[in-house]
Amino acid sequence: MRKFFPVEELARDERFNQVTMKERMADPRSGLPSAPGERSRSNRLVPSRPDASQAARALMHGIFVGEIQALEGAGRTCHDFRTAGDSARRAQDDAHDGVDTDDAVPFALKLDMARQAWDEARHVEISVKLSDWMGSEIGEFAENTVLFQAACSTDPILRLAGVNRALEGLAIDVFTTMKEFGDLAGDPFLEFCEDWMLADEVTHVKMGSDWLRRVTEHDPERRKKALEFQGVVDKLFSYGGTRSDSQESPIGLARRFRELAGFSDHEVEEIAEVSLAALEERKAAVAAMQSAARDVEQLAGG
Amino acid sequence: MADPYQPRSPFAPWDRRELPGMFDVEESARRIGNYKWAEIKLFEALGGWVATVPELDVKMRLGTHCYKHAWHSELWHKRLPELREMNPDRLTQPPNDAMVHFVEALTEPEAAEQTIEKLVGVYRVFIPHFVAAYTFHKNNTSQITDAPTIRSLHFVLQDEMDDWRDGEMLIQSLLRTPDDVARASAHQARLEQMMLDAGGIAGPGSIGNPYAAGNGATTH
Repeated sequence: MRKFFPVEELARDERFNQVTMKERMADPRSGLPSAPGERSRSNRLVPSRPDASQAARALMHGIFVGEIQALEGAGRTCHDFRTAGDSARRAQDDAHDGVDTDDAVPFALKLDMARQAWDEARHVEISVKLSDWMGSEIGEFAENTVLFQAACSTDPILRLAGVNRALEGLAIDVFTTMKEFGDLAGDPFLEFCEDWMLADEVTHVKMGSDWLRRVTEHDPERRKKALEFQGVVDKLFSYGGTRSDSQESPIGLARRFRELAGFSDHEVEEIAEVSLAALEERKAAVAAMQSAARDVEQLAGG
Repeated sequence: MADPYQPRSPFAPWDRRELPGMFDVEESARRIGNYKWAEIKLFEALGGWVATVPELDVKMRLGTHCYKHAWHSELWHKRLPELREMNPDRLTQPPNDAMVHFVEALTEPEAAEQTIEKLVGVYRVFIPHFVAAYTFHKNNTSQITDAPTIRSLHFVLQDEMDDWRDGEMLIQSLLRTPDDVARASAHQARLEQMMLDAGGIAGPGSIGNPYAAGNGATTH
């Protein structure tokens, strides 16, 4: 088995359809409603939204495929990096790679990743049952594989920054929104499950925060690189303003749970700013498209 | 009411535990170092395979079992310093090169079409050998002096038996044609041969020697 596994080869059965981030966001059934007049001032995922059922199902499917990739990513981190002190594996790796590199990770870090693999496996189980409960089925929406891409870094610390802090951080925001949705919709089943998954996600983000600090304690350059990578992933997942403090975003920023997971106030503010900027970018793009469409209509009418 | 000052036996009549055991501290630590190494290899393999199997139920099982074996390796990691091995990495080793070759062959299958081979290697070869080595250890170590190891072995064996059953059921559900059965058997035979060369999870003597002269099995 190879040390690093390419995202294009993620194994799926025939029900799944994989697409890019851009293609997924262009799917009118997900993200912000795009037609003028259809959207209210608030796009937050709440039961009163006209498209609430469909949007909740789309989000749940996104959670489902995200959990599969998170499971795969955690599993790969168990496999791809040898345990510090494993001389037999080091000899194998060196012979296989042809280079004398030392990318060993602490034993306890790998144990945490194995624990995360189990947690993510449970989340797949939970989200597949919730999807069924909400009336959708596997493959009804497309899967974008950007989460696993963040787990493909050859530096384990970059993986922790990109997956555990950026993406699992996003999961905290998503689960908080879905939990509130369950509460408002009078769906205790949904609220109950989201609450349990939220507890796990806070743990995963905290693992990422703790390991990032411990492993890079004497390597400020590596820490800086990891935080930059986290910033890139955070920005990528703020694409289109899907997640921000603004009510115009379907998903809110769960500040309190992020604090519990080890984010500093400064870090939360940074994410809030990036997310708002992404929302403004998206709104400007939509406005430009609407203006262009009006011009075309006028030309056609004239 | 019974007189609380009346002398009682230190061992109750139903407590038949005995002091003698087959392993001294050093031998126990050596075996546990081998167990830890093998459990690490197993959880690394299971974690790595998650992304490579298309079957959703198998994918989730591998993720779940990955953690269980990581936890076993942690139990052994914590036991080593209690057996006078203050540097657990020193004894976290394969028993011999044949075991390294076995793990290499076990983890060879990667393609999405090789789920049968992946599962057979783990659930029809590796885990049955864990069950055997752990059972031998549990039944032969001192029931009093090595009680902490026995306690861990109870937990670990429970997991191994549960996972063995899970894995075997997944394999049976994937064997749909005579060709599938032939594939599974061929792979099992190849790996079993390599495990024979290794002598088991802790090397030769992993499950004792039933051909040794005398009343009881020995480790040699």
